[in-house]
Amino acid sequence: MSDASAGDEAGVEPTDAERTGSDPVLSLSNVDSGYGEVQVLDDLSMDLNAGEIVCLVGPNGAGKSTVLKTAFGMLTPWEGTVEYHGRDIGGMAPEDIVREGIGYVPQTDNVFGSLTIEENLRMGGVARNDDLDEVIGRLYDRFPIIDEKRGAKARTLSGGQRQVLAFARALVMEPDVLLIDEPSAGLAPNTADDVFEDVQAVNDMDTAILMVEQNVTKGLGISDWGYVLDQGTVRFDGTPDTLLNDEEVSQLYLGG
Amino acid sequence: MSVIELAANGVVYSSIIVLASIGLSLIYSIAGFANFAHGDTMTVGAYATLVAFGLIGGVGFTILGVPLGFFAAVGVGIAAAAVVAVVTQRMVYDALDVGSIGLLITSIGIAFIYRALIQMGFGADTVRYDIPSLRPIESLQQYGVLITAHDLATVLSAALLVTGLHVLLQHTDLGRKMRAMADNPDLARVSGIRTYRVKLWSWVIGAGLAGAGGAFLGLFNQLSPRMGFNLLLVVFAAVILGGIGSVYGAVLGGFLIGMIVEMTPLLSRVGVPIGIEYAEAVAFLIMVAILLVRPTGIAGDTAEGGGV
Ligand SMILES: Nc1ncnc2c1ncn2[C@@H]1O[C@H](COP(=O)(O)OP(=O)(O)OP(=O)(O)O)[C@@H](O)[C@H]1O
Ligand SMILES: [Mg+2]
Repeated sequence: MSDASAGDEAGVEPTDAERTGSDPVLSLSNVDSGYGEVQVLDDLSMDLNAGEIVCLVGPNGAGKSTVLKTAFGMLTPWEGTVEYHGRDIGGMAPEDIVREGIGYVPQTDNVFGSLTIEENLRMGGVARNDDLDEVIGRLYDRFPIIDEKRGAKARTLSGGQRQVLAFARALVMEPDVLLIDEPSAGLAPNTADDVFEDVQAVNDMDTAILMVEQNVTKGLGISDWGYVLDQGTVRFDGTPDTLLNDEEVSQLYLGG
Repeated sequence: MSVIELAANGVVYSSIIVLASIGLSLIYSIAGFANFAHGDTMTVGAYATLVAFGLIGGVGFTILGVPLGFFAAVGVGIAAAAVVAVVTQRMVYDALDVGSIGLLITSIGIAFIYRALIQMGFGADTVRYDIPSLRPIESLQQYGVLITAHDLATVLSAALLVTGLHVLLQHTDLGRKMRAMADNPDLARVSGIRTYRVKLWSWVIGAGLAGAGGAFLGLFNQLSPRMGFNLLLVVFAAVILGGIGSVYGAVLGGFLIGMIVEMTPLLSRVGVPIGIEYAEAVAFLIMVAILLVRPTGIAGDTAEGGGV
């Protein structure tokens, strides 16, 4: 139920209005999903192409986190399919999906507080067969913030450091798709900027990213494509510029 | 009895409580419920040790007055308790979809079943291992310590097992996974941990340690079908005192509760006329007092994400 025409009228350059990639690594098609008896997602479809950052926005309770949980096997779709490289992974267990090459950074409780930074990273790599130390070493190089604190318990980290560790834990598997739920939630503006830079850096490592974000301007700002979710289904999708400039979208969903 | 003698007895009794407490806490944190069959799992370990020792025999020489064959029999007791717990987990707890309260109540039923089966097989009377009782170690008597070589063997074995568990938790892959699961089960799955397997291992380790505790409890006293159940409340007190879900808390709580129980006679010496028969009540009172000050227990997490 995307509304492409709304975007076209916003007068954005035509090159931006087109989605560049067309090589979906992750596709949800006509997905219904929810908790117990309660349906949350309703006929939801969206794609993530290789190399993209895709941002999922929408009001509280729209079902954004539920999309990620369904894509990652924490919930089984009631209807529709979740395809990863064209293969249906709907309802596969998270511990198996990790082994397929998808990573997930939850919205809350996304580090093991009572484990050290090093141990958190090792947990991120339980499904790796080889090169664990090497990969962890590279992650320390990339994220010096956590390198300095290898032996510290994760619960002693600041919010921003914790978010970095949460990314790094998911990256130990070197996923080609990363699902991130509200990376900037609860962070000071400067720290949030750092986190968005990290998201871009991860994307530069050839990882396609599907990200939920409340901070619409910044989230869409680093993204290639955006979806606006409301009541469990996609109301609009388009390039970030299109969505940010669309009157209806911003009035209804982006806080004016 | 002198303070030092009571303290020495306390250490012996504590060793047994600690072995039982660890498993109760571990299973609580990883399987997610308070297992009321844990005391009777100790009994299973004790009787399996009895049977195995009967079959194996002494095997020549002794260590601290304990025949070598007995240590092998304790190994069998540990294995039997672990197997019984794993079978129960797979056939009963795992098959039920009843939440943690439902599982708790189920485990009370399981406890009755274990006890009834043991009573049917071995009778309700007390039995003893076929190991001659020892007199207290003479060289320690001059310090007022009256403990036997068997007591010493119990303490050393418990220390060995607790150290082994510590090494496992801190320095092995399985141990890290267990700690991760106790901390955050959802994130554990998200990270790729096969949580079902880790859960089974927690049952193996928790029940195995309870089995060892039961085996040594049989050496300390004697065996009876109610031996483990009789200890269960004290073990719960230890685990709650230490901070339920924390293995290290359970060690500390088990030690403290064991010491308090054995040191109760001191009270009458300072003018508080409370006999040894109220020792457990005193332990509970002290537990309640500590919990009033520190509701999460000594090593319990006050904020988020508990560890093991
Ligand atoms: N574990 C759960 N059990 C039952 N209902 C749930 C559960 N988690 C979420 N819901 C419900 O599903 C709906 C969608 O929740 P979801 O977490 O996906 O929203 P969201 O868009 O991520 O919101 P937010 O911006 O607040 O994170 C909400 O109505 C919520 O109450
Ligand atoms: Mg959410």
